[in-house]
Amino acid sequence: MMEGKVCIQVQNVSKRYKTATEDSLTGVCIDILQSDVFGLLGPNGAGKTTLISILCGIIRPSSGQVRYFLDGVPVPAGEQKSRIGFVPQEYAFYQELTPRQNLDYFGAMYNLSKDTLTQRREHLLEVLGLQKAADKKVGTFSGGMKRRVNLAIGIIHQPDILFLDEPTVGVDVQSRNAIIRYLQNINQTGTTIIYTSHHMAEAEEFCKHIALIDHGKLMAAGELDSLKKQHSVASLQSLFINLTGEAYRD
Amino acid sequence: MFKIYSSLRKEFLLLINDKVGLILMFLMPLLLVFIITIIQDSAYKMVNENQIPLLVVNHDKGDQGPKLVSLLDSSGLFKIDAQDQIPQASLRAELLARGKMVALYIPESFSAGLESNAAEVSSILMDDLGLEGDTATGQKVALPRLSFYNDPVLQENYSYSIMSIIQSYMSVIENSMMIERMYENMDLQGQSEKLKKKMISNRVAIDQIIASNNNSTAIPNSTQHNVPAWTIFAMFFMVVSLGSNIVKERVNGSFLRLKTMPTSFMLVMFSKMAVYVAVAVAQVTLTFSMGVWILPKLGLPRLSVPDNFVALAAVIFISSMAAVSYALMIGAIAKTEQQANGFGAISIIIFGAIGGILVPTFVMPGFMQFASNFSPLHWCLEGFYVLFLKAGSWKELRSVFCFLGIFILICQLGTYFKLRLERII
Repeated sequence: MMEGKVCIQVQNVSKRYKTATEDSLTGVCIDILQSDVFGLLGPNGAGKTTLISILCGIIRPSSGQVRYFLDGVPVPAGEQKSRIGFVPQEYAFYQELTPRQNLDYFGAMYNLSKDTLTQRREHLLEVLGLQKAADKKVGTFSGGMKRRVNLAIGIIHQPDILFLDEPTVGVDVQSRNAIIRYLQNINQTGTTIIYTSHHMAEAEEFCKHIALIDHGKLMAAGELDSLKKQHSVASLQSLFINLTGEAYRD
Repeated sequence: MFKIYSSLRKEFLLLINDKVGLILMFLMPLLLVFIITIIQDSAYKMVNENQIPLLVVNHDKGDQGPKLVSLLDSSGLFKIDAQDQIPQASLRAELLARGKMVALYIPESFSAGLESNAAEVSSILMDDLGLEGDTATGQKVALPRLSFYNDPVLQENYSYSIMSIIQSYMSVIENSMMIERMYENMDLQGQSEKLKKKMISNRVAIDQIIASNNNSTAIPNSTQHNVPAWTIFAMFFMVVSLGSNIVKERVNGSFLRLKTMPTSFMLVMFSKMAVYVAVAVAQVTLTFSMGVWILPKLGLPRLSVPDNFVALAAVIFISSMAAVSYALMIGAIAKTEQQANGFGAISIIIFGAIGGILVPTFVMPGFMQFASNFSPLHWCLEGFYVLFLKAGSWKELRSVFCFLGIFILICQLGTYFKLRLERII
């Protein structure tokens, strides 16, 4: 049983794409608490990206609904996009532009004023170690630097809820640590983080609650330690294998 | 406003970072206008200028050969290069060596043959009238034949037109000689002028009426065709820059990321269109400036900017919108940048060829002239033709706006439905 104020309520959400013969998600129900770090885990093709896309408003569910709350009060539909931040797995920004130019553009799209944007841009460039390369084209950056730019864009407007789709994939240990450390910092200031990863050790260290999805269905959800006890396993990786099996996923 | 400014700024930054795109959009039309205008200038002069360069080799010993040359010269239709030393055997080679496309050879017996023919006709008439005139005592000379040489590249109907003109002057000479000879036979020397004037000069006239709004006699020259034609071509070539930009944003997830933000996708598309319409206007300004100031310095015709500035602005705007909309649609449909660049560029070359950019439609066969109606570049060019050559009124431009409006609508709807299919909108 989870305690605290619910931030996102996923109620019986199903999704079937127009050309598909099977559901990508079937009757998923999850409650995500405010200021939590919530891990959305599952093997390839389990439905994680579909669920995160629904939560971010990129696609609509075929049935069911997603409700957002702030301090227990429902958030009006018109305000939801201002409250969420999204860091996709792809480098979803402009490689021909510099980090400053990218942040200026995306920050403006979040309705930030020029002064606020300048202040937050410089802060993020500093804390994410991008200050020296702030005026170089992002296309010339290493994978780790690009991941940090990707993250900076998603958090420039200081969202209440942050969705991260594999934010540390393909980066070195230093960049991974920098990203996780920064995410822990913003979580401590109240930002709810919903996070997907295939890196079980990282997820185990970072997440308080998890949901395990496979074949579009919710296999388990709850506090990580409770789930480990419940399934008599010592690690998240064992829990993962226990619930999803060892067969290859294509 | 800051949001709009930021969106426009981002598009501008992407544009100036695309060096290849900039070269294609700005340097290419300048080079094409410069090169093609020089190449096609002489061909357009052939079509447009009243004086046809004509090499005349006159070997006639009498008066009629020079008289024919004089008549041709005084007509103002020909730019005569008169020679009397070139032998007929080498005329073919001489024609090509002198860069002329048509030549006329007048044989040695030209006057004698015409005199003989006039005497014979007069004699027949006198006999038929039962009158006794001077008996033709001179030696009978066969009717002369003129030889007309033409470059094989010259269109057949063009050659026939020139021969018809020569034929009509021959009729003047022959009729005049016959009348004179008849009067002589009737001992009425020097009294034939009235009849000659009546028969030769007093003929049914044809009034030429120019089918344009202001009775302008302006007809396309190499500058008036090539400057707008290659500007339109370059406008549509923005598909390489804008199309690949859109593919990148679709593929790398930027568009989907924007969907999670409190912003309208209309703003994204509006910014793209606004920046690239501005690019098209800059292209027009650049190439038209070249037509007005640079080309005349190279001895090429000056581009005369139309007086109707509002109509000019409207044609530039709708042409730009057509180019931008096409680029948006290609960007939305293509799966990769390579597809957008390859298909985009090839389709513009084909549209350009069909639409009269590479070769004007008026020299195309009938079915290709019909096919040109399906090229948006043709209608853009048509808009500029109406402005430059017919002092275009809104009425004249109606079909241009109508077709391009439909084309823009199709492209915009195509873009919308494709992006919607991908859940971007």
